[in-house]
Amino acid sequence: MRRLLGIATLFALTGHAADSPAEFFEMRVRPVLAKNCYSCHAQSKMGGLELTSRVGLLQGGKSGAAIVLGNPDESLLMKVVTWEHDRLKMPPNGAKLADAEISDLKEWIKTGARWPDSPTATKSKEYVIRPDQKSFWAFQPVKKSAPPQVKNSAWVKTPVDNFILAKLEQNGITPNKPASRLTLLRRVSYDLSGLPPTPAETAEFLADKSPDAYRKVVDRLLAGKRYGERWGRYWLDVARYSDDKLNSTMEEPAPNAFRYRDWVVDAFNADMPYDKFVKAQLAADHMNDPKLLPALGMYGLSPEFQDDRVDVTTRGFLGLTVACAQCHDHKFDPIPTKDYYSLLGIFNSSEYKEYPLAAKDVVDSYEAKKKRADGVEKELKDFLQRQGDELATILSNRTADYVLAAFGRGPKDGLDPTGLDGETLEKWQKYVKRKEHEHTYLSKLRAAKDGDDWQKLAQEFEQLALAVNREKKEIDEKNNITLGGSSKRGDLSQADLASLERDKYFLWRDLFGTGGVMFYGDKKIDRFLSGEWKRHQDLLRTRLDLDKKAVPEKFPFLHALADKEKLLKQRIHVRGNASTLGDDAPPAFLTVLCDDGHPKPFTKGSGRLELAEAIASPTNPLTPRVMVNRLWQWHFGDGIVRTTSNFGALGEKPSHPELLDYLASNFVESGWSIKAMHREIVLSATYQQGTADNSAFATKDPDNRLLWKANRKRLDAEALRDSLLFAAGTLDETAAGQAKPIDDANHKRTLYGYVSRKKLDNMLALFDFPNPNQTSEQRVATNVPLQRLFLLNSGMVMDSAKQLVKRLEKIPETQRISEAYRLLFGRAPEAEEQKLGQAYVAHGADAWPEYLQVLMSSNEFLYVN
Amino acid sequence: MLNRREMIQTMSAGFGTVGMADMLSGGTHFTPKAKHFIFLFLNGGPSHVDTFDPKPMLQKMHGKLSPVGNLKTERKTGTLLGSPFKFQKYGKSGIEVSELFAKTGGVIDEFAVIRSMHVERPNHEPSLFTWNCGVPLPGRPSFGSWLSYGLGSMNKNLPGYMVMCPGIPTVGPQLWTSAFLPAAHQGVHIKNDEKADQLIPYINAQRSAETQRHQIDLLSKLNRMRTDDPEVNNSLESMEVAYRMQTEAPEVFDLTKESEVTRAKYGNTNFGRGCLMARRLIEKGVRTVQIYFGNFQPWDNHDDIMRHKVLAAEADPAIAALIEDLKQRGMLDETIVLVGGEFGRTPSVEVSGLVNVQNGRDHNNHGFSMLLAGGGIKGGTVYGATDEFGFKAVEKPVHPHDVQATILHQLGLDHTRLTYRYSGRDFRLTDVEGTVIQDILA
Repeated sequence: MRRLLGIATLFALTGHAADSPAEFFEMRVRPVLAKNCYSCHAQSKMGGLELTSRVGLLQGGKSGAAIVLGNPDESLLMKVVTWEHDRLKMPPNGAKLADAEISDLKEWIKTGARWPDSPTATKSKEYVIRPDQKSFWAFQPVKKSAPPQVKNSAWVKTPVDNFILAKLEQNGITPNKPASRLTLLRRVSYDLSGLPPTPAETAEFLADKSPDAYRKVVDRLLAGKRYGERWGRYWLDVARYSDDKLNSTMEEPAPNAFRYRDWVVDAFNADMPYDKFVKAQLAADHMNDPKLLPALGMYGLSPEFQDDRVDVTTRGFLGLTVACAQCHDHKFDPIPTKDYYSLLGIFNSSEYKEYPLAAKDVVDSYEAKKKRADGVEKELKDFLQRQGDELATILSNRTADYVLAAFGRGPKDGLDPTGLDGETLEKWQKYVKRKEHEHTYLSKLRAAKDGDDWQKLAQEFEQLALAVNREKKEIDEKNNITLGGSSKRGDLSQADLASLERDKYFLWRDLFGTGGVMFYGDKKIDRFLSGEWKRHQDLLRTRLDLDKKAVPEKFPFLHALADKEKLLKQRIHVRGNASTLGDDAPPAFLTVLCDDGHPKPFTKGSGRLELAEAIASPTNPLTPRVMVNRLWQWHFGDGIVRTTSNFGALGEKPSHPELLDYLASNFVESGWSIKAMHREIVLSATYQQGTADNSAFATKDPDNRLLWKANRKRLDAEALRDSLLFAAGTLDETAAGQAKPIDDANHKRTLYGYVSRKKLDNMLALFDFPNPNQTSEQRVATNVPLQRLFLLNSGMVMDSAKQLVKRLEKIPETQRISEAYRLLFGRAPEAEEQKLGQAYVAHGADAWPEYLQVLMSSNEFLYVN
Repeated sequence: MLNRREMIQTMSAGFGTVGMADMLSGGTHFTPKAKHFIFLFLNGGPSHVDTFDPKPMLQKMHGKLSPVGNLKTERKTGTLLGSPFKFQKYGKSGIEVSELFAKTGGVIDEFAVIRSMHVERPNHEPSLFTWNCGVPLPGRPSFGSWLSYGLGSMNKNLPGYMVMCPGIPTVGPQLWTSAFLPAAHQGVHIKNDEKADQLIPYINAQRSAETQRHQIDLLSKLNRMRTDDPEVNNSLESMEVAYRMQTEAPEVFDLTKESEVTRAKYGNTNFGRGCLMARRLIEKGVRTVQIYFGNFQPWDNHDDIMRHKVLAAEADPAIAALIEDLKQRGMLDETIVLVGGEFGRTPSVEVSGLVNVQNGRDHNNHGFSMLLAGGGIKGGTVYGATDEFGFKAVEKPVHPHDVQATILHQLGLDHTRLTYRYSGRDFRLTDVEGTVIQDILA
């Protein structure tokens, strides 16, 4: 409606002469200013001039007021745009205004430069969600439908199978034969624990003929602590977990990051209800349970890109790409820009906080000692700098003497070089003899001959040096005032500050700057100090030494969040530009997920707890769908929705929408139990199929979206490394704790290794570990030659083979090959395999580790069927 | 017919030997003019007004406040600072270059000098991301990864995209990430101050070639016995490539195979050795080589612009030698060389509280220069211009997206059609922008 009105007004205005001053301004003046001036005189305020308001014009910039009301001839603006001004000709670069535009400006100033309140200010029109957007599948309530009828009901083991089989039958596809028991055991063991079964576990399962043998295995695996180590790590992919901060220039570990990682592992092991798991990560500081506080590491360890927190929240929990809406309304999903800023405001009203995990007195004592040491350090630094300045001033008063002596003119001309400082004189000598100087002030002295008046030249030079030093101090002082006493770096700051002329600057730098002839800094200045000054310095040094030693190692703490004391009033950044502010964006949930399309602003603190509750609400259609879909993906390789972090219009549609909703509603009904979901999935006949191919079915469904077979999977980085150590018998299964580099000395499970945002470990990177700088939805599995180099040459593989030899040496030589097969593959070797193995190890003493390395590089080891 | 999973894995098999190329009709979108890309990144932001963009007005007004005021940059700047370096005309084209790049001036007729570059932000990280990944944020695939994905490698025994830096430039590995493209397209970072045999992880054979041959033969037999294994050929091919790489890769990096004269021309410096290695890699069929001048941001001379003298003494001969060498070997026609940094520097002197001395320049994202040579680029061309002080690009402004679009174009790719679907959206290097700069094409 507003838009229509605008067009109507425009028409009216162009149709008639602009009669009111407001209309004249909007039609003839504002557009001219905006088009020609605002690139420099709006936010950039070039020359101090801002032409976006009447006040701005009247105040003007460095060259004075831009307009004189009623008097265009006296107005600077007119002189500048008519190019009558001797220096300023605007707009720059030869684009002079049209005569009509100039006369409009003139007319406007003459009639008092009326500047009405803008009817077309940055107020955005109300965002409307179209019906087709509102009815998009992902935003519909989760609807539980009964498992469909199937013809081959004998195949069905759990309701999941009804959904899968019904689709297969519709497409004329029959499910695969079940996997062998050995294959199934290896598959479910890797899936639920990240490690293969031991020979004993294999033997036990193969011998257990009871109907619930498989269920017992699943129960055992879900109860084991390795389960959380496997599945917690998957969540850490989503949470872009790392053990350091992304700092481009230096290592910056987050020393307590592991406490978040360990909390995640424990939460999975304890089957913490997923709604609580979500809420704790967003708002544990509002949940009155200190045990949940480590969960805030999800945000406390943010890589701090401006959109990271909104991105990880919405893609991670909701499968929505809200960060796409930071510059404009989402192009495809019903997400207005305002929603992005409403969420951003929640995080901008929160701040990073470290929660100490030590008694108050320990913390206080640390802080106090640290503060004291820092204080002394600063005092010493300031003292030395003052003394250095003082000393340079003193020395500079004898510049002439030093210069003469440096040129070897001292004694000869009857001057007494005594009292000159030896080191300073040496520095002077070196300096005057330099091949080149970047200023010309020394050239006369350098060209002087025996008969010249050396005295006079030296005196002149001294006066110059003193004057330059004075001038530098004055300029510094002036700049300091211009900057309001703050010399801190202001982002995007701009100021026209004064500086020395270049030649003078070089002279100043060479004589007084750091490393200059008369500069003496820390330690170097010591020999000039005596008496009280010396005692003071020694005292400060001793104190600093003691105080530094007194600072204990920092107490353990949590990287977390807290609400800011002063909450931020977030406004929209128009087109993502922080300097162009639009409407207010009070903290609130996403428009499309609110029943009436009008999100109510959150009122408690930053709003994080309310956001968490809205996300983890049982009526939120996305949260349970997104999580069960992730669980499905981590079991099968692909999700029911393959774009697991994008359920929006550009994401893929679910292959089995009813199944997705069936699982999502069961998830909520089970009290958000993740382990219940695992049981739904792994006990199904669908999950237990074999991997055998079928060319007819592959033609119909090349991507196996309908799941007529199991997908073969390559071991990921963690499972590969863990399996090598496991086979070697050297896996250290100590849980939790500080992350250590993944080197040959580290035998803990890979998830406990150091994950770096700055430089990801070689082995992890090689085997497709996800980028920890952003939330990650899926592991890809590549097969590239560099990975084979790891198998050929890494210490990890070579050592594991050697260790496995040691394990095998305990048993008779004739049984070693079969024992190796049992340990690595859970089966006995075929006759041909036995024969090939025997032939190889017969080569000599070194042949055993070589042979085992081959087995550990084989596809049977690297892939799970 | 390959399914999606197999497609990803196959594409990744031999460093992307079967890349996007096979999915594009006729391999590329257009007939390519060039096959290789060398990106010489003078990281930190070299000053254009001291190198390739002479500004007489700046010299004239030295020491005075700019009449039009200073633009917003990262820090505070003051009066205009004339260049301490002399410019002179070079070559038939008569393009003016400063004494810092006299040797590059000697081959300036090969270059198109773009004097109207601009980027959005005056900060290193976003600008580095824009040049390398097309957006000022992390998370997108890098330039070289897109090329590896789009064109594949021409040598199965070497990675298609190599990155050299003695250590790590500012931002680090995110600059050569494949992000959501298959990991095989990631740049392989090698530290060009290390010995040739330590450049690629696990490249040093730990057993004799004969032993490894026995092992691989056994592996091949064992793998083939598992008849239900669809991965078997890929795995074995991968292993054979790895086996050959152990001998081929270290040889490429061994600069002692070059004559002393050649090595001296490039200069015995990290950057000089890097440029020479780039030529050797290109010769062996590597698609993209990127060299970062040094660790972090060496050209970031906030304090004292005279530091440029030392840096240029290393950069200048190496750039000139590379161009001459490529030309002499007939490789310049098929290799695009891009030279420059993430942004330029202010014509006004930096006076922020962070600098100890005041003879340096702040970052300048509003205007700077980049150089392009080879691969069908029209040499001896100047394109665009900054204002009279060199603060802002005013004539035919060029964004990195335009340069990226142009380079892709020369390599036979339409930047709007080189896409990859991820998380439900098609992504491209140039995001939603970019125009091929027709005027600098031969």
